[in-house]
Amino acid sequence: MESAQSSGVGSGNSDTYTPEIAESLRFQEEIQSLIDPSFDGSPAAGGSFTALLGLPANQAVELLHEQGPGELPVSGAASSSPTAGEMWRLRVGEEAAPALRLPLDCSPTFPSNAALVERAARFSVFATAESPASSTGGGPSPRLKTEPADSDSPPTLPIAAEKPQRPTKRKESEKSKGKTPAKKSKNAEENTGGDKLPYVHVRARRGQATDSHSLAERARREKINARMKLLQELVPGCSKITGTALVLDEIINHVQSLQRQVEFLSMRLAAVNPRIDFSGLDSFLSAECGPLTAGNGRGGAVLDPAMWSSEATAAASGTRRLPQQQFWHVDLMRPQQPSTMWERDGASHPHFLLNPATSLFVYDPANSVPLNSNQLKTEL
Amino acid sequence: MENPNPKSLMAAFHFQRALSLVHRTASKSSRAVRGRRIQCAAYASMAYSAGPRRAWSRALLRRLRRAARRRQPRAGWRRRAAAGAGAASRVATGAAGLRRLVPGGGGMDYCSLLEETADYIKCLSVQVKLMQSIADSASLCGQL
Repeated sequence: MESAQSSGVGSGNSDTYTPEIAESLRFQEEIQSLIDPSFDGSPAAGGSFTALLGLPANQAVELLHEQGPGELPVSGAASSSPTAGEMWRLRVGEEAAPALRLPLDCSPTFPSNAALVERAARFSVFATAESPASSTGGGPSPRLKTEPADSDSPPTLPIAAEKPQRPTKRKESEKSKGKTPAKKSKNAEENTGGDKLPYVHVRARRGQATDSHSLAERARREKINARMKLLQELVPGCSKITGTALVLDEIINHVQSLQRQVEFLSMRLAAVNPRIDFSGLDSFLSAECGPLTAGNGRGGAVLDPAMWSSEATAAASGTRRLPQQQFWHVDLMRPQQPSTMWERDGASHPHFLLNPATSLFVYDPANSVPLNSNQLKTEL
Repeated sequence: MENPNPKSLMAAFHFQRALSLVHRTASKSSRAVRGRRIQCAAYASMAYSAGPRRAWSRALLRRLRRAARRRQPRAGWRRRAAAGAGAASRVATGAAGLRRLVPGGGGMDYCSLLEETADYIKCLSVQVKLMQSIADSASLCGQL
């Protein structure tokens, strides 16, 4: 998955990302955040479904379509059709869909995808949402408003027809926010029946405009509000503040203070540090990484951040003869890979590096760093 | 410190390597120069471990590489750092201020800006904690 993604990135320019590639990058990250439980990038579970995915409607559709019909056991039927007054159709941008050739060959997603669909199902506004997953056959089958383009067969689901009012009321009681983004559950869940449907059925909220523009704006506003909430949680002392402008000011102050802290700490480290000896650590890790990175050129990539700080000096590259770092210098002397560092790197780079790293240093203040490196030296 | 997160472990690893490199190659230079280089190393390792999927990390690395290639990083960094630290009150507020602070902020829509800001803040705080603990343990063992 990572190589496919990185190859997709590498095929473009390294500096100019077309919007689709940027979207696919964000997209894959969102997917990974859903797949990987240790990834802490997932938004609040109570949020709307496409806020979960962080995608606009058509890409969410594309995502689900890419997974293939088999994994999402769609019952393939429309639920009861409420009155036409509250229903509208939004044509998903089909011209955008083929542009996103998302190379999702991530097969291990599907156990979690079922959980995803379950969550989506839970967010659904339909009457079936009350009886959580058991009403229709198979837990994770979402209550879709799938609409095969012409034939609308409502009563395939064994549910009572719902009144227009009930979903609204239930919507409001369902979520903690009290504003169920019903529309998004439709957008994300639908069209998994195997045929690519151009229409997205959305239930508009009571008393709100139903044209596509205002719905899109509402989606956008909800995304923005969700992200603002995340930011408020991240910045200490921001939850009490009401009003977007003040919150933004607080965020700006926080970022500035963090950057200032980095600067002061770096000055402090410059003064304090010459005593600490990292050579043991480095040689150990280089030994681990050397044979692994031999054919891939990743060793040079690993050293790139170190390279930049040394590039900042006017010193020539050949003048660094340091005693214990022979193989590290071999890496340094390798012709520098240009800015395509990440294109080759992918995410496999952290994996093999992590095993020695995690076994080596559990980084906390109790374990002072030189202690680790000394221990490593004795191991060597 | 809550550090079993693989991302922060990678950040720690990269930063320590960069730190040791800086200390070995620039031990003759002044403290300010070394401090500046350590700051570059901090941002570089933070951006590198954040991964290429984040717009801010790409933009940050692009900026660092450009500065390194131009071989005048100190002037640029001083100007930028001074502008950042000294003119704190003069930085625009609101979305424009955020765009100025977060690397790569100029080219995004508001929604992605907020998202990138959240990730940037997360990684910045991890980096600050990392540097703090290195400095603490360094000063601790320096006293022994």
